[in-house]
Amino acid sequence: MLARSPRGALVFLQNRPYVCQSCLRRARSLPLAQGQSPTARAIQTATAPPPTDDAPFRKALKDAAKKKKKEERATSGATRNSSKARNPRLEKWELTVGIEIHAELNTARKLFSAAATSANATPNTHVALFDTAFPGTQPHFQKETLLPALRAALALNCEIQHRSSFDRKHYFYQDQPSGYQITQYYEPFARNGHITLYPHDFPAGACPDDGPVTIGIKQVQMEQDTAKTVHQPPSTHLLDFNRVSHPLIEIISLPQLHNPVTAAVFVRKIQNVLKAVNAVTAGMEMGGLRADVNVSVKERNGNSANNVHSYHGVGQLGQRTEIKNLASVKAIEDAIIAERDRQIDLLENGGVVEGETRGWTLGSKTTRRLRGKEGEIDYRYMPDPDIAPVFIGQDLVDHLRQTLPALSDETVSTLVDGTTYGLTAKDASTLILLDDGDRLDYYFDVVEHLRSTFSKRSEVLTRLGKVAGNWVLMELGALFKNEEWSGTKVPADQLATIVAHILRKEITGSTAKRLILMKFEGEERSVEQIIADEDLFLRPLTHTEYMNLAQSLVEEKADMANDIVKKQQLGKIKWFVGQMMARSAEGTVEPAAAEAVLREVLRLPPVEQK
Amino acid sequence: MSLLRHAQRQIDSLGRYSHLNAFVNVANLETVLARVATAAGPSPTDNVDPRSPNGRLVAIKDNICTTDIPTTAASGILKKFNSPHDATVVRQLREAGAIVLGKTNMDEFGMGSHTTHSHFGATKSQCDGVERSAGGSSGGSAVAVATGQCWAALGTDTGGSVRLPAAYTGTVGFKPSYGLLSRWGVIAYANSLDTVGILGTDVDSVEGIFDITNAYDRQDPTSLDPTTRSGLPVEEPAPSKTLKVGVPIDYNISSLDPAVRKAWLRSLQLLQKRGHTLHKVHLPATQHALSAYYVLAPAEASSNLAKYDGVRYGSRAEGKDGTPESVLFAKTRGEGFGPEVQRRILLGAFSLSAQAIDNYFIQAQKVRRLVQQDFDKAFATPNCLNSLEYGKKADGVDVLLCPTAPTLAPKFSEIKDQKPLHAYMNDVFTVPASLAGLPAISVPIQVDKATKSESAGAAGMQIIGQYGDDKLVLAVARQLLEAAKAG
Repeated sequence: MLARSPRGALVFLQNRPYVCQSCLRRARSLPLAQGQSPTARAIQTATAPPPTDDAPFRKALKDAAKKKKKEERATSGATRNSSKARNPRLEKWELTVGIEIHAELNTARKLFSAAATSANATPNTHVALFDTAFPGTQPHFQKETLLPALRAALALNCEIQHRSSFDRKHYFYQDQPSGYQITQYYEPFARNGHITLYPHDFPAGACPDDGPVTIGIKQVQMEQDTAKTVHQPPSTHLLDFNRVSHPLIEIISLPQLHNPVTAAVFVRKIQNVLKAVNAVTAGMEMGGLRADVNVSVKERNGNSANNVHSYHGVGQLGQRTEIKNLASVKAIEDAIIAERDRQIDLLENGGVVEGETRGWTLGSKTTRRLRGKEGEIDYRYMPDPDIAPVFIGQDLVDHLRQTLPALSDETVSTLVDGTTYGLTAKDASTLILLDDGDRLDYYFDVVEHLRSTFSKRSEVLTRLGKVAGNWVLMELGALFKNEEWSGTKVPADQLATIVAHILRKEITGSTAKRLILMKFEGEERSVEQIIADEDLFLRPLTHTEYMNLAQSLVEEKADMANDIVKKQQLGKIKWFVGQMMARSAEGTVEPAAAEAVLREVLRLPPVEQK
Repeated sequence: MSLLRHAQRQIDSLGRYSHLNAFVNVANLETVLARVATAAGPSPTDNVDPRSPNGRLVAIKDNICTTDIPTTAASGILKKFNSPHDATVVRQLREAGAIVLGKTNMDEFGMGSHTTHSHFGATKSQCDGVERSAGGSSGGSAVAVATGQCWAALGTDTGGSVRLPAAYTGTVGFKPSYGLLSRWGVIAYANSLDTVGILGTDVDSVEGIFDITNAYDRQDPTSLDPTTRSGLPVEEPAPSKTLKVGVPIDYNISSLDPAVRKAWLRSLQLLQKRGHTLHKVHLPATQHALSAYYVLAPAEASSNLAKYDGVRYGSRAEGKDGTPESVLFAKTRGEGFGPEVQRRILLGAFSLSAQAIDNYFIQAQKVRRLVQQDFDKAFATPNCLNSLEYGKKADGVDVLLCPTAPTLAPKFSEIKDQKPLHAYMNDVFTVPASLAGLPAISVPIQVDKATKSESAGAAGMQIIGQYGDDKLVLAVARQLLEAAKAG
């Protein structure tokens, strides 16, 4: 996708340095500079690197839990620890954050030409004359692009505006062919929305408040994306105009976020909502979502005379700074923390926060100044005289509202509440997040098969959702760890058959795992057939056979048995269980039964039932 | 005279008047003549339709895109630009059998009133051996028509750029209602005002071209939609119909050249003699129209011209562009644009800036609305674009008649050192119709011999109609010219 070869790129750009040297320096100074525009621009649409944190949510949860543990250890430990010292500061100072999120809409055509949108096409193959600002060309608004935008705005509980219009935002940059971006500055198409963050939206233990937090959305507007600049060191910049005029939405939050984690969760949730209603491109991890954050701090009990600023109608706030062009959720959280701490340091040392634009690169400890107020770009917003206002009918809005796909919040409650699925909130969120919802569909299929299998056994019906969940998330999850998800490798009905055998205690867990692996690796026989052919049904040993097996093992490894009995190294029982299973035919030894017999032989108390 | 004879004469004139610099680029003349021969058919007749463009040589202003000849907008930044597409109006003319002779000179991107601000040198008009201003910005098209180098020509009119050159060169220049003729392929100066206009020696040729180009074009988002079009009057009024002719007394300014005032009075009398009635009309917002225009047009221009950076097409400055202190394309834009274009870009950038937009751009938009309301109050017919009223007003007029410009064509030597502001004054009578998007035509009326000092032969008289009354405006123009000829 990135034009490493000059083929297909604009030939006349190849050997001529035409980009200003300061821009070049800025580009080079960025660790992420490859194929990326400098972040120094006042716009949101520079090519973003793939974020580093699009690892599965489960991993994010784990990392968050680990981090939290570490922090707890740190705070409960020595008082000289700096993170301990920070807490009183946060009690004194309140953070306020507002976020602007830009997301690529999932549309077939560009915003103002009939050229197709594309993610990975050969550079400069999907470009209409207007997209490259040829003289005499005019915009052709593609009204179909409104549909995903409206779905997004409705999912964010916005009021759809009957009339909206397009404006030109002027600035010079080589990725902006007409010298302006067409956006909705004076009359956006959606206003006054909100989104609620529930405890299940937060990583484990990270929910800062009791109960849900609702964040206001000031407006949602449509606008054009820019071209992609591909930097070829030392001095060549190639331009790919395929992305020019790809429709974007910009979502502007009210300054109602007071915690970096909440801000990150807010962005992640918006990302999920946009995906759930099919408003954005699947390739969000490829730079499809970018955010600017506005950060200010104020003393909680301080003199309110110092907090004279008002943003989007929210008053009594401190001077804010803006951090531009954050390309991942982690960057958003880290940048807010760094900027908050910088502002508090400054204020505590008697300084003043300047209204300025700052930048952030992943991994750095602090934000850096890009330009001050005097260097702010005056965008000279002007209504575009070639584009008529857009009028959106109530019938269209009603239709879209009725046909809006279920949002993740509703799905979470379906999965968690009641007896049908009975998943934990954590597993439910994980399922929703994986594979753009494909994993969830697969899970529903598996449960559906199982429910018809066990339709008459209510005691099984109440727990099959949870068991199926474990197998779909854990066992299949492990197999697909390094591979793209596919629902057909282990078809849902086959996994349902395996789980059904488990639920009836007809096969052992290890047999089940073996069966899944076989199907995963392309085994064509049905699960039933494999079980029959290879005689995998659980044929439990008699109690005498269990006792004999256990007895001989204990005698063989007398010293280990001694450790267990004398030194109470109970963990070693598991080793014996494993040995018993290994030395018997497949499907004959159940771990629980084996442990019970071992304890009997070793004269230990039976395992306590939970 | 046959089509081929006409064409040959026009090509002869092309050579004879080359010193007037009407054209920037000319098509291959052999090809042109071959096409005329094809269009004329196997048995050429002397009986050529005065309205049909078939087999006629037309000149196209150089800000209207053509695939076979470069399209420069008379700018250094587009001096070698070849457009990959024909403008819709050019395609329509070609489909009707017209042959594009060449691209005419103009003020760069349409910014000027004398066709002196061209990368390719000024165009001049000649009258009685005296070099005069050709008017602007469509001066090349007007001179080409006036000196018989083509049958008719396309121009563009943003604030008077077709009507003023027509007035200065003694030709007919028509600016149709905004939105009737497609702007697809017309290089934008100020989109909300830009209108393709037509220049000819008579109303027939102008109307012939208008009839062919007056069609909805989906490529132009500002093209008037078919539904609204179907509500516009299509038939010319009967010549015997009595019309109410409005006389805007606000146009009788003290700086009006006495020769022009006399021509105006004479025109009014001629129409009155034909049975039309004259009515005094007030257009009070007119006095602010010029200022509003010179805020709005440069504002849009500063935006429209931001695309010229020499990256994707067009000329680039030699060597490296962009220094650590400047933006990427400063050198290219500095070299590519002429001084008047740079002046208007700066003006426009200022009036759109955060500090000035409320006092300039927004105020000017309000004045524009007032100008529109002035016209709507004056006309009997309601404006179909914004009116909720039905039926005609009893006290309204059908058309307005006023001079196109306050003076006759100035001598070329006088305008050379003219201050920009003085040049802007030439547009004072043409700008109001542009702001309101109304149809307006300039026709040449001979000035009274007694007051004719050193003489330009004719003064331009402007007929303005309600939005969509293009056919009425053309009909009145024809009547006025006929009356002037008769007596």
